[in-house]
Amino acid sequence: MAIKSIDGCIGCGECVKSCPTDVIRLDPKTKKAVITYPEDCQICHLCRMNCPVDAITIDPTKSIPVVVSWG
Amino acid sequence: MSENEKKGLSRRQFLGLATGVVGAAALTGLGMKIRWNTKEREIDLDTFTSEETGTDVLVIGGGMAGLFASVKAHDAGAKVHLVSKGRLGSSGQTPFAKGIFVYDEKTASVTLDEFTDLVSKSAINTNNPVYTRQMAIHSKERVNELRDWGFFESPLYHKAFSKPINERNIPVSERIMITHLIKENGRIAGAAGFSIDEAKIHIFKAKSVILCTGAGGFKPNGFPICDLTHDGSIMAYKIGAKITGKEWNDGHSGSQDNPAACYDGWHGMFDRTPSVNGVEVHHDLGMDANYSAYILGNPVSSGPGSQMVEGGPYVPDGFTREMEEMGPPAIDGDQKGPKGPPPGDEDGRGAPPQNNDEGGAPPGMASAASGGASAGMAIHKSEGIVPINEKGESNIPGLYAAGDALGSHMAGGIYTQVGSSLAGSAVQGAIAAEAAAEYVKTVSLQSIPSSSVSAIKEEILAPLKRESGYTPAWVTQTLQGIMIPNFVLYIKKENLMKAALAYIEELRDHHMPMLRASNLHELRLAHETGNMIISAEMKLRASLMRTESRCSHYRLDYPDVDYDNWQAWINIYKGSDGQMKLEKQAFDAWPAQ
Repeated sequence: MAIKSIDGCIGCGECVKSCPTDVIRLDPKTKKAVITYPEDCQICHLCRMNCPVDAITIDPTKSIPVVVSWG
Repeated sequence: MSENEKKGLSRRQFLGLATGVVGAAALTGLGMKIRWNTKEREIDLDTFTSEETGTDVLVIGGGMAGLFASVKAHDAGAKVHLVSKGRLGSSGQTPFAKGIFVYDEKTASVTLDEFTDLVSKSAINTNNPVYTRQMAIHSKERVNELRDWGFFESPLYHKAFSKPINERNIPVSERIMITHLIKENGRIAGAAGFSIDEAKIHIFKAKSVILCTGAGGFKPNGFPICDLTHDGSIMAYKIGAKITGKEWNDGHSGSQDNPAACYDGWHGMFDRTPSVNGVEVHHDLGMDANYSAYILGNPVSSGPGSQMVEGGPYVPDGFTREMEEMGPPAIDGDQKGPKGPPPGDEDGRGAPPQNNDEGGAPPGMASAASGGASAGMAIHKSEGIVPINEKGESNIPGLYAAGDALGSHMAGGIYTQVGSSLAGSAVQGAIAAEAAAEYVKTVSLQSIPSSSVSAIKEEILAPLKRESGYTPAWVTQTLQGIMIPNFVLYIKKENLMKAALAYIEELRDHHMPMLRASNLHELRLAHETGNMIISAEMKLRASLMRTESRCSHYRLDYPDVDYDNWQAWINIYKGSDGQMKLEKQAFDAWPAQ
């Protein structure tokens, strides 16, 4: 599912702001980052790179089948 | 209240009917709407508020062009407001471009004239030499400013971009999607959009707008441009601006092993700090690999491009490469594409920055190549708003564009100077800003009639208000299935493009008006999907019109360069009847007004 897990979030919100496709949101109750719209993850790594505590794991596969030009 | 509740049928009853033995035909017989999209609306429409902001210059987009547009318009005396769909320096293509071109006359191997001629030769005259030269002339000044702001010290650009913006107290509004440009009395009056975080419509009144909205694609899987859907071009088109360059393609390929090839961050390139490079003119990102794949199929052991095939795209003398070294071309500035996977854990976690200068295979070369990594995008700066002069000004007074939102044809219909994309965005942002700052001295802020504001709000919220309709995700995937195949988007011929156009017109006429959103995230997707549909129509119509092959536009039925009839760009505009119109603009002329 592209962005795979968030483990050890400190709730700073850097990943939410740095995600170009609005995949991550802060849970209003726990104030921790939640993978909310994984189908829109473009695997661009900006959340992982912006996370100050290396909490984010990226996976190579997408949750939606990929359309390519030839196969 | 939902459509069903209005008809006196509770949700419980509805679900009982829908999941029971009563079929769709029977439901229609009851006079009830069938709800294809059963996801409940997650937001209360009555809670929407609206905010109005006034400024001299509104900059839309927070990438390299938007940064310089904001800073330079401010420095030229204008009151500036920057609004971005994402975060400053962390959205669009800017965060992933790691190379920036600098032309230094003291050390360059060629003169400015020679450089411009070299680009024109590679681009088979599709470049606008005024913009090619301008980029080179100003590149050094812009790069020096970037260096002062700390740009070259981190792989992440937000901090360096924030420095000059904060020093000038330029207001920045992030995570707001602008959907409308507003024109009153024949000139620009502002823009409107919505927040993706709260139920709020934003109306920006502005004397001038600079579109720094980047280009876009069809949310392709192998390229980090899924937030770019030609928003700027399409909203400008809707108010009468001309759009160019839609027939060109960007030929980046991905990897068959993992078509969502951004995973390895292009072998760690995303984690690297940016660097500068000098003159290096190529003929890159064309259709060579697409053509090989079309003719030969997809070899199992190695990707297309590994075997020489007869025919295919014409490459000017001096720009041909050996097939072994060709493969998928490199991303901007990555001419030395580092070898192998990034260091760090298997799962990609915490991969440290890498500065591998040894060279090696470009992205996608580790295994067989897959096509369409950047599907829907054209060569940097070849598509976008048609400039009427060297300042990024559009045919609508007060509306400017810079960077990939401007169809400056700076590089041409093929990628020529390595690293010029980032440099060009910086240069064009600054130039458009100075022109806009001059312009705003001559005009006053216009009031926007409340009827216009109401109509815009209705259009923005329409997908949220629909009780039934199609999900943006499904419509987008349908569009991808129509457009991305190699035999539609890249290796073109008339009958297939006409077939694809019939499908796209169906999406435009029947599905676009029924895009449905259940929350603000989907509202953004709905508007993005609408923009991609219009962009797909533009790409097909321009590609049908261009009855020749040149640079990154390749037609099987017209395989040769046609110097007699096609020394021209194609401009697209909305006719007075609302229909999409196309016109030729000679390579050596500015557009007819």
